[in-house]
Amino acid sequence: MIGRLRLRPAIWAPALALGLVVAATLSLGVGAVWLAPDQVARALLTPHSPDATATVVTIVWDLRLARVLLAALVGAGLASAGAAFQGMFRTPLADPFMIGASGGAALGATLAILGKVNLGSATVPAAAFMGAMLAVMTVYGITLASGANSATALLLAGAALSTILSAVVSLLMLMNDRAIQEIFAWLLGGFSGRSWPQLAMSGPPILVGLGMLWLLARPLDALTSGEETARSLGLPLNVARGAIVAAASLVTAAAVAASGLIGFIGLAAPHIARLFCGSSHARLIPASALVGALLLLIADSVARTAIAPTELPVGVLTALLGGPFFLWMLGWGGSR
Amino acid sequence: MSAALAAEGLRYELGGRAILDQVQLQVRPGEVLALIGPNGAGKTTLLRALARLLRPLGGTVSLDGRDVWRMRPRPVARQLALAPQGAELWPLSVEQFVGLGRAPHRGWLLPLGPDDRAAVQAALERTGMAPLRERPVTELSGGEQRRAILARALAQVPQVLLLDEPTAALDLKYQVAILGLARQLAHADDLSVVITLHDLNQAAGVADRLALLSNGRVLAIGTPDEVLTAELIGATYGVPVSVCRHPLDGTPLITPIREMR
Repeated sequence: MIGRLRLRPAIWAPALALGLVVAATLSLGVGAVWLAPDQVARALLTPHSPDATATVVTIVWDLRLARVLLAALVGAGLASAGAAFQGMFRTPLADPFMIGASGGAALGATLAILGKVNLGSATVPAAAFMGAMLAVMTVYGITLASGANSATALLLAGAALSTILSAVVSLLMLMNDRAIQEIFAWLLGGFSGRSWPQLAMSGPPILVGLGMLWLLARPLDALTSGEETARSLGLPLNVARGAIVAAASLVTAAAVAASGLIGFIGLAAPHIARLFCGSSHARLIPASALVGALLLLIADSVARTAIAPTELPVGVLTALLGGPFFLWMLGWGGSR
Repeated sequence: MSAALAAEGLRYELGGRAILDQVQLQVRPGEVLALIGPNGAGKTTLLRALARLLRPLGGTVSLDGRDVWRMRPRPVARQLALAPQGAELWPLSVEQFVGLGRAPHRGWLLPLGPDDRAAVQAALERTGMAPLRERPVTELSGGEQRRAILARALAQVPQVLLLDEPTAALDLKYQVAILGLARQLAHADDLSVVITLHDLNQAAGVADRLALLSNGRVLAIGTPDEVLTAELIGATYGVPVSVCRHPLDGTPLITPIREMR
């Protein structure tokens, strides 16, 4: 088992918030033009004062701020959705894509890239969002209709549908080899070229879903004690599970629409958060959100700079850097 | 006075086999009723049906005269608490875990208030778990986990308390403590306590009345003296037994008859 360092919320909450501000400031400074933290701070806080150079203000406000905010929100959303699913399914292996969201989003985005669906100006993100929501609703509907209404049935139906959807995506890629590059880049996930429009589209649903998940903290706690115990405490199981799935999937679909499939944050951030805040969801949901935001901000900064001027896909980076770190954290790499 | 909890003609089947068959029983406030019977007799199934976790195929369970299946789950959980035998655990602290017992009163979305914290504190103290309040329940010993589960049920401040094998995995000291607490909750706090036990002598010591189950039927219900007879127990369990008296309180004491060593 992982060593434990329990801290009070009065310590970890401000510490993480401060870390987030520092990481965001540094992240606003890196890229094709490097800016010192004090330049960034001046451009952010007093953009109209004579000390702030116009170029710096433009770089910070028009080119980088929306992307940084979006990375933080996507990280927070994926992490809190992962925390909720780990609690609801009672498995440390759960991530936000567990019940079909990734497969649905991938199919939606692929169809949009191939021009098979057209949903207006932001057709790829909109199609990814719809695909994710439709897939999760299908999985949930199948489980409800089958009568075998348990978390396990939900997981199995999710696994089955994900397999089917990714097979369809593979088939579409094979049959449309000219679009493979574009589809593949989307599947890998990243924030390249994302700005205010994407933030305006995905930010509100992520924040709403996050708030809902935090509100559902006690039902989540009850579900971790098993479905029968939760029922004996008077929890309306279907309502609670439906609300958790809806909130987590709203967050996940909005995140995926903004940035493609970014793995690992949703799995790892809740585990990191549990190390210092424990497993009660009233603390775990916000702590996971802060950790996820911090991790994805750092990952995106590295993705932008590691092999500049080319950008790495963030999804690849989170897996490459996060995987070994996670293994080490589980105790296989260091002393126990 | 009406019965606090009553089962009327309960029937349940699994794979064509009757698990509960015309089960009839009442539990009054202020009494401990023990459910006894051989393995597979239907004790735990009956307890789950009484707890509104298992919907019977026929018959009713009523709480203060109201059919529990015509009530919402939360009002039931305000009056009736179950301490299950096996529990799936997640590393909540003991205090957070016991605090879940307040959800039926507080609702699922609001944070716990001062009266909730007082009820949690009282439940922790009654079960001797107050010193362990910060510990994750997953790191407790088996006996401590049983007491944490009982504390969660007590935090519901129920009128009816259902205990499924509460002494399993407990050492002698805590067996005595838990059974003593069950009696105190019934006799001093006027709760209706239903308790499944496979140890007949524990049942004789704790219960005001016993219900003997076999193949889903209630074979006998009554005081320990009425139910714990050599004939009835010998026939139900298929083992010859001798019944003598507890040296201190005179309750029946069951001893299987075996060949002399």
